Amino acid sequence: MGDIYFQITYGHFLVLAAVLFAIGTVGVMMRRNALIIMMSIELMLNAANLTVLAFARMHGDMGGHSLAFVVIAVAAAEAAVGLAIVLAIYRSRHQADVDSLTSLKH
Amino acid sequence: MNRAREAMRRAGARILAVFVALVAVVVVLGTAAVARAQGQGHEGHDHAGHDHGQPQQARGELGAPAPGALPPAHDLRQGEARLPAGAAARGTGAVVEHGHAHAGDHAHGASSPVLNTRSKASALLFWMFALMTVGGAVFVITRSNLISAVMGMVGTFFAIAALYAMLSAHFLAVIQVLVYAGAIMVLFVFVIMILNKPEDEPWRATGIIGKGAVLALIVYVTGRLIRVLWSFRPDPASAAMPKQIAIPVGTEVQMVDYGSTMAIGQNLFTDYLFPFEAVSLVLLIAIVGAIAVARPHEKPQGNASDGHTTP
Repeated sequence: MGDIYFQITYGHFLVLAAVLFAIGTVGVMMRRNALIIMMSIELMLNAANLTVLAFARMHGDMGGHSLAFVVIAVAAAEAAVGLAIVLAIYRSRHQADVDSLTSLKH
Repeated sequence: MNRAREAMRRAGARILAVFVALVAVVVVLGTAAVARAQGQGHEGHDHAGHDHGQPQQARGELGAPAPGALPPAHDLRQGEARLPAGAAARGTGAVVEHGHAHAGDHAHGASSPVLNTRSKASALLFWMFALMTVGGAVFVITRSNLISAVMGMVGTFFAIAALYAMLSAHFLAVIQVLVYAGAIMVLFVFVIMILNKPEDEPWRATGIIGKGAVLALIVYVTGRLIRVLWSFRPDPASAAMPKQIAIPVGTEVQMVDYGSTMAIGQNLFTDYLFPFEAVSLVLLIAIVGAIAVARPHEKPQGNASDGHTTP
């Protein structure tokens, strides 16, 4: 039974990515601050990257690395635009609470 | 500004203390476990050949039929019954010595070793980095101070970069540190400084019932994901170090390591050239969009400053 601790397999990496993804999901659902929500989204993207790289190593395929590279670049772009939106919202309301953005609510 | 700096210093000191404590705990536990396993190692190793033969055949389809032969294609829905069986079959030959590639490894069939975990140190390193990752992530979602959350996030990114290096993705490990921890987190810190509101109400769900529901949600989602992913059995041939990548250079073929810069360059600029160009376009649009959204919009001025002069 101690083998699970001393022989690291692909399953270990996949489970770690799953745990990270779950933590990110809970962070998105349970926090009110827009910046923490964006950081949780980055956590989920990193979990997906870890999964892709584990499978890429399993198949000896470099396409997974290219995909992870593209995901990192897209995450950077999305973080920049998201932070700009947060700044714009904050400028008019002086708070970054997503619960107060209810003007489109029916 | 001073308050945020002070908060960052306090948060950094706290995080460093927690990390050092975690490392100490892992090192102490790991050393004890290694010492105990080394004591039993020699007995278990003598039976390695026999014990692997018996349980494997007794259970029928578990593991590879013969050493060296590839097992049948992995079945994603094999259920949890395999896990205790596989673990029991492996537990008899628990200690695998340095550089020993014997038939028992291939006969395992089940979760095949990824890293060079002939040495316990790399397994210990994995657990340390995994703990740092999850710890940093929990920091992010539980801290009320935004700067503390950013520090936890940076710790997570560094640990994930180390895990990428363990998966032979060296180039991406460096890119992860440079781009994620070095650029995106700096962007977050800038925005936090601009907003100048480092404190926040942490949880939307209040009360003990709310927190219990959140914990139950985390445990449930994690349990379901683990159940699916742990029953996945890759073939043991993938456990070896990945083959080298062939790169055509002029008329010859050059072999480079998996995960190196040349390998990802060869893949990114030939097979995935279009996504590469497309992502550069995405970055350009993101820059323009961020400036357009975050730019302060002034009301139009109606006096002499706009060029109309009163006669």
